[in-house]
Amino acid sequence: MFQRLPFKRYCIFLLILTMAASGFRKQPSQLYLTTSGKISFRSDAPLEVIRASSTDLIGLIDITKGNFSFKIQVHSFQGFNSPLQKEHFNENYMESDKYPEASFKGKIIEDVDLSVDGAYQVRTKGILTIHNVPQERIIQSDVTVKKNIITVHSAFTVLLSDHNIPIPMVVNQKLANEIKVEVNATLEPR
Amino acid sequence: MRKKYKLLILILIFCSVKTFSQDTNLDSILDEQMKAKTKNQTQYTEATFKTTRLIDGHTVETTQAGVLDLKVSHRFGTLNQGFYNMFGFDVASMRIGLDYGLTNRLTVGGGRSTFEKQYDGFLKYRLLRQSEGKKNMPVSVTLLSSVMFETDTIALKTEKEISVSPRTSDKFSYAYQVLIGRKFNPNFSLQLAPTLIHENIVDSAFNPNDLFAVGAGARFKLTQRSSINVEYYYQLPGSKLPGTYNTFSIGYEIETGGHVFQLHFSNSTGMTERTFIAENTGRWSKGDIHFGFNISRVFTIKKPKQLKM
Repeated sequence: MFQRLPFKRYCIFLLILTMAASGFRKQPSQLYLTTSGKISFRSDAPLEVIRASSTDLIGLIDITKGNFSFKIQVHSFQGFNSPLQKEHFNENYMESDKYPEASFKGKIIEDVDLSVDGAYQVRTKGILTIHNVPQERIIQSDVTVKKNIITVHSAFTVLLSDHNIPIPMVVNQKLANEIKVEVNATLEPR
Repeated sequence: MRKKYKLLILILIFCSVKTFSQDTNLDSILDEQMKAKTKNQTQYTEATFKTTRLIDGHTVETTQAGVLDLKVSHRFGTLNQGFYNMFGFDVASMRIGLDYGLTNRLTVGGGRSTFEKQYDGFLKYRLLRQSEGKKNMPVSVTLLSSVMFETDTIALKTEKEISVSPRTSDKFSYAYQVLIGRKFNPNFSLQLAPTLIHENIVDSAFNPNDLFAVGAGARFKLTQRSSINVEYYYQLPGSKLPGTYNTFSIGYEIETGGHVFQLHFSNSTGMTERTFIAENTGRWSKGDIHFGFNISRVFTIKKPKQLKM
């Protein structure tokens, strides 16, 4: 094929290819990272309110592709109403030794350009894994971009029954099946 | 010429490959970040045992800061007492006690037993905590020092074979333990407990006042909230009072919220170190088996700072 092409044309062909390739390279995936995002949760049961939070959420957003991944060490949650309750959280409910991480990863559904400053309300679709049970979820988030910093705020609920965490009869008035979760994270370019 | 083209093509392919390799995998970066983050953290092992007592003896666990633990322990009479005594049901020995966590490492506690009308008090300190991560510690080590004051003068007189009324100092005994425990996995924990018991008075000059023993205890978890516990205290040769036997106990433990219930069989009537390690006269082979239970109920008196939000 090359022998049939005149040298000049071939050069042009190469030039175009190279330009295309380099043009592709000029847009590397823009990654934004947090290692200290905050997650808090709350269980509102008739007899007891339980709250706990962690500031050890780590997460990455690739703004060119619109995908993201967030993770947390379950052991990092602090709060609760007593030390025993925290122990039960890790030992009996979340089984943190067996399943140390909870995660959410997926894609932003809306076609938004997060390289432009502004406030966006987006829906994210992904796999929420808690207690080693993955669930496909669509979670709404408020995303604010300002001076190359992305702030994410999101509130959603998690059903313990969705993640294979049974509530024993004796505490069914003290622990809600529906857990309210709030996430606040500030991501900077990596 | 053709060679040059080929070279150019190769370079181009190389460029494009390089471009594709920049298509980063979010998860691998995240895992790297997680590793970097947790590298400097220490994960302490929680709940080697469910509560601060295994059956009769202490575990490596201490009561958490600001938590009050009410302990009610009951031992019925021996099963070999027959139908007339309802296999021990009519005879009961009790201990009621309170443990309080001054800090997460230091516990103070005390109680009163009906057996030999005894008061006891103890201090317990968690010296080492089993951990992984930045600090690696294979075992938990807890020190226990307890004092027992026996006020049943008649029992004391017969037991120690003394004719005059005992002095106050004669009523005291002491126990020192080094509890070494490890949670091997979520379902299995083991502990060893070298013990020294000092009795201020013994029945003859031929018997030692200092008695050495080694205890061993284990927990096998059955379900998320229940386990089988076993405990054995071995009196070292040469430091054994005549007519006493090693204590072996086996029990079932279940927890419900703030309560821990322990049901067990043991050849010991007493529930303090002096009585179940040094002065146990019961024998499994003779049917001197007591059915008993411990109930532990925790109250959070002071909410620790780290738990506040």
